Amino acid sequence: MTDSPTQSALSIKSLVFSHHDRAGASFDLNIPQLSVAVGEHVLLTGPSGSGKSTLLQLISGLLEPASGSITVAGQSLGALHGAELDAFRGRNIGMIFQTFNLLAGFTALENVLMALMFSDLPPSQHRIRANELLARLGIERTHAMPDQLSVGQQQRVAVARALATRPKLVLADEPTASLDAENSRNAIELIRDTCREEGAALVCTSHDPSLHAAFERVEELFT
Amino acid sequence: MTDFHIILRSLRLRLFSTIVTMSSVAVAVGLLMALIILRNSGEQAFARGTGNAQLLVSRDASPLESVLNGIFYANPPRNPLTMEKYDEIIESFPWAWSVPLQLGDSYQGLPVVATNSDFFREFQPVEGVSWSFQEGRRFARPYELVVGSEAALKTGLKMGDAIPLTHGYGSSREEGHVHDNHLFEVVGILEPTNSPHDRALFTDLAGSWVLHAEDRMAHGDHDHGHDHGHDHDHDHDHDHHHHHHHLEVSDLTPEDKLITGIYLSVPSRGGSAVSAILPQAFDQLRRDTSITVASPSNQVDRLFSIVGSVDRLFVAMGVVILISSGIGILLALWNSMEQRRRQIAIMRVLGCPKSRVFSLVVTESAVIGLVGALGGILVCWIGMMVTAEQLRIQLGIVINPALELMPVLVTILATVGLAALAGIAPAMRGYRTAVSRNLRPLS
Repeated sequence: MTDSPTQSALSIKSLVFSHHDRAGASFDLNIPQLSVAVGEHVLLTGPSGSGKSTLLQLISGLLEPASGSITVAGQSLGALHGAELDAFRGRNIGMIFQTFNLLAGFTALENVLMALMFSDLPPSQHRIRANELLARLGIERTHAMPDQLSVGQQQRVAVARALATRPKLVLADEPTASLDAENSRNAIELIRDTCREEGAALVCTSHDPSLHAAFERVEELFT
Repeated sequence: MTDFHIILRSLRLRLFSTIVTMSSVAVAVGLLMALIILRNSGEQAFARGTGNAQLLVSRDASPLESVLNGIFYANPPRNPLTMEKYDEIIESFPWAWSVPLQLGDSYQGLPVVATNSDFFREFQPVEGVSWSFQEGRRFARPYELVVGSEAALKTGLKMGDAIPLTHGYGSSREEGHVHDNHLFEVVGILEPTNSPHDRALFTDLAGSWVLHAEDRMAHGDHDHGHDHGHDHDHDHDHDHHHHHHHLEVSDLTPEDKLITGIYLSVPSRGGSAVSAILPQAFDQLRRDTSITVASPSNQVDRLFSIVGSVDRLFVAMGVVILISSGIGILLALWNSMEQRRRQIAIMRVLGCPKSRVFSLVVTESAVIGLVGALGGILVCWIGMMVTAEQLRIQLGIVINPALELMPVLVTILATVGLAALAGIAPAMRGYRTAVSRNLRPLS
């Protein structure tokens, strides 16, 4: 793994994470160094179980490492706890999931507004920002429930939600795992284009080798 | 998007469970409030009826029956007192005032009180409040009738109407025969007093005595010394219409001059409402075993001590139902947490702190309590109106249940508090939701 120069959107040093499940199986993740520059797009690859999703959760502060440091947009996550860490994540990190994880019972617009609830943006701007993003991503039926939208539309809503707060870093966890080759390419293009427009760095995980060509930088994880 | 918006959406997502839980809270709150308010207004209603009558003399079987019959017009008293007895009682003590009453007749099921003009002059249906008239005046002659406010409303009687009275309190003709030998003319309609007296009609004793004396004579002629029961059929009724004997007040004998009760009041000293000599008067009267002496206010207290144990049971039941509906909220939310783990995990990823998840669940629980309490107040209000109407129709007890601000606020706050308390355990479950585990793709 290489350390990228200049200003970092993400910087990881000497990261160690261990997990032992109830069945007695253990899992260890070691990352000596990883940097992602502001606006840079990186693809993290590796076989299933290599720790790609775990790493994204460590970067977003949802899991705590055994040792090492993670710095996002100049802020060390180790220095933040509880509500501070939650607030920091809400403002600086956007997440896109394989199954989109849109909130059932909330409209497309409300799903995006939900992310803005925890942002710095004044409440009067929330609706404007959400509508603008959804319109840019081609979502016309903003008051439709997630189950009333096509898979492609759901993915675009998920992208809009991840980028609504203008995060410095977007983490996409296997966003194309359930799509065919053509739709995978389209989805990655959409995510990358939107991140580029918003000036966000992107760390995307995938075990699909066909996506390598779409990224200027590919890092591989080994357990 | 606000927390309230999230809560409403969450409640709507589980609409059936939400409605059932809110309804159970509403029923519990409604029952509890209705019982408390009805008890209070019932107490007030009974307190209003006794007015300034400190003692009541009759020949009913018990003091309680005496008060129920003599003041609340529950049933016609069975055993009369003679005017000789009345005079004896009046002379036995320096009473402030006394009023004789004769009960037993009715009009359209409403009691007719035959009394003298002291009834309006001395007796106050509510202590400190004298009678006042919507229209007309007190009766001044036999066969004149004064109608209570509710009786006027119920019967539609107007000034100048002339009506026959019915023997007994039965509302249908089969239960009592009509005294059609004299018609009684409405000369006054009373203002409401919110007491049982509002549903009564009032007339002069002398007229009532004549009416009954003529009736007895007519029955005597007709039956030739047979039983004077009132079960005669209509064929015979027709015959005896032609056998009425017309009497004057001066023709009445001591046997005709019967009453069923006496309201009494002792002199008070220095404007004190309860006189120190009342116990003395009470004891003196009680020595006469041929009469029943009752202190109306004591009997009302006694009645409430009897009713009280029953309504304490109801209030306890209401509290138990309220607590069980609190447990219902807890279970409904606890189970919903299982379905909401993913939602909570997503919200946490979006930056929602654990403490906010906790407060969202507790607030959601409180909202269930609030809506339930408001629904309960509506249920209570409807229930009270129905009960009040039934009490008035069935027992003639006029109660004015009112939703007072303080009990309503206390009930709402207590219910919301209880609901919030019930939300704590589910909220803790939400607080502890493991984010990473619940974000995994559903298999």
